[in-house]
Amino acid sequence: MRFLSWLIRGKSPKASHLMLAPAALWLLIFLILPIIGLLALSFIQRGPYGTLLWSFTWGNFSRALNPKYLPVLLRTLGYASSATFLCLLLGFPLAYYLSFGAGRSRGTLLVLLMVPFWTSCLVSLYSWMIILGRQGLLNHLLLKLGLAENPLALLNTPFSVLLGLVYFYLPFMVLPLFGSLEKIPRSYIEASYDLGAGTWATFRKVTWPLCLPGVFAGCLLTFVPCLGDFLTADFLGGSGTYLLGNLIQNQFLMAQDWPFGAALTTVLTFCLTWAIFLHQRFEGRELEMRG
Amino acid sequence: MPEKVTRREFLRTSLLALAAPGLLVSCAKEAEKRVVNFFNWSKYIGKDTLPRFLRESGVSVNYEEFADEEEMTAKLRSGARGYDLIVAADYQIPRLKASNLIDPIPQGVLFNQGNIDPQFRNTPYDPDNAYSVPYLWGTTGIAYNKNKVPQTPSSWEALWDEKQSGKISMLDNARDCISMALLLKGYPEDTTDERQLEQAKQLLLAQKPLVRQYSSATYIDGLVAGELTLAMAWSGDALQARRENPQIDYVIPREGSFMWADNLCLVRGSRHREDALKLVDYLIRKDVAAEIANTVRYASPNAAARPLLDPALLKDPRVFPLAAVKTRLRFHALLDPDTTQLWNELWSDVKVS
Repeated sequence: MRFLSWLIRGKSPKASHLMLAPAALWLLIFLILPIIGLLALSFIQRGPYGTLLWSFTWGNFSRALNPKYLPVLLRTLGYASSATFLCLLLGFPLAYYLSFGAGRSRGTLLVLLMVPFWTSCLVSLYSWMIILGRQGLLNHLLLKLGLAENPLALLNTPFSVLLGLVYFYLPFMVLPLFGSLEKIPRSYIEASYDLGAGTWATFRKVTWPLCLPGVFAGCLLTFVPCLGDFLTADFLGGSGTYLLGNLIQNQFLMAQDWPFGAALTTVLTFCLTWAIFLHQRFEGRELEMRG
Repeated sequence: MPEKVTRREFLRTSLLALAAPGLLVSCAKEAEKRVVNFFNWSKYIGKDTLPRFLRESGVSVNYEEFADEEEMTAKLRSGARGYDLIVAADYQIPRLKASNLIDPIPQGVLFNQGNIDPQFRNTPYDPDNAYSVPYLWGTTGIAYNKNKVPQTPSSWEALWDEKQSGKISMLDNARDCISMALLLKGYPEDTTDERQLEQAKQLLLAQKPLVRQYSSATYIDGLVAGELTLAMAWSGDALQARRENPQIDYVIPREGSFMWADNLCLVRGSRHREDALKLVDYLIRKDVAAEIANTVRYASPNAAARPLLDPALLKDPRVFPLAAVKTRLRFHALLDPDTTQLWNELWSDVKVS
């Protein structure tokens, strides 16, 4: 008991560090060690039939940086950024309504937003396949309403992949947005109106700047998993929607070339970390300039 | 390779994260009961096969299913312990051997080994059946929708038909697609001539705009739903699609094609070797092999089981190709590691373009 109160009161700095221990250990075992393993894997050679030869090589990286993978990289960036942009477009009004307009139904709506998390993503993917198919619900509807003469090919197209990505990652966008909108003191907004700003000016000068961290977090939480997503492209995509995630997955499974897969993953992770780091520095500097 | 009886992807969860808790439990209990841990394709066994084995021998079987071959290999490779017996496709066997994941089959232990058709005894992937016992087999060919395709596709060239653009599916792996392209070009499958391989690649690249999807699993649904009219397919899958949609038929093109076999293999480090061998011997007993084939509707490599097979199955040329067709079928050639790597690169180039 005394130990607990010593921990929780946080009077001695050492004790508060102890509070970090469980999470730190968890991260070390389940995040840091696998990343180190992946790094190590990307520098070794592939033996015959997918065995691993423990000798150092740069070869996997020179292969990973081959320009022939540029189209895949660009395509993946394109899908990830379009999906992120669409999520922001759809997610912002939703988060705004949840925060400012939902009133009593807010709890229910938030729970509804979580529903996609409770269904297995495979079930969702199959459902989409059924909805988008040539004889699917959507085509059925379009034909009935006379909006289309022949069934449209919706499945296995860029459209269906984008739709799948937006469907899966929308909650990742909405939740941080909602969180940051919630944090805005309502008195600021009142003050803005008080000082003669209109609705639009208030949004532009008060609400939007204050929820920018949420926008950034939401975009990051959407963009990063989209870059690595392979299931959506696998199920809803076609021959022209082969993404980086599929390429990496195929190295680990079909081609049994783990070192190359690890090198591709390392390159991707490195670029992402670097981009986030740059952004943080840029943001920090901006704050200093304003301050 | 075969067998994705509807919705096999349900099992296709994120691969390596799944250790098998069931196995851990079974290991803890193994002291008191005899058990074999059997890792097989989903829905790839008879209904009464395993219960009957328990009744006859007192050994119970922990039966675990996988949904794709790569998933299974990845699991074994990442050190999942506890499996005693697995079912592996022909092309996997040299890989599994090289990675020290399987053990040779002891000679003279299996009573029923004589039941196996000689055609499956000395295969390129496992000379003398040192490491594998054939379990079921099938072919690669073209599945098509009779209503939508005016003539029966007689050649692999049908998969380059501009009229069917956007309704064609190809199996999603290097082995099937590249060997087929080489076959169409008339080059040997194990060619190391880079020009020939380059031509095969160009052929596949020319086809890509027509291809709706590269898929080794979901194409079954596509055929059934009428999304696809032509698909490079494995016989078992085509027949499953046919069961759900009678318009689907299956044909082996005139240039010939490839046959494949799924085999029983002993996992290295197994602690139930004796009972695992007993199970292998039981699975190739003629009545058991017949029951399995009659249930899953794949061809059995078990010659002794033929008289016990469902006549409809035996007479179906899609399952047991006619003699004339059979001469045009062969197993995939064994590629050396460098060529395998070349093929993977080539396939990757086709996919990423």
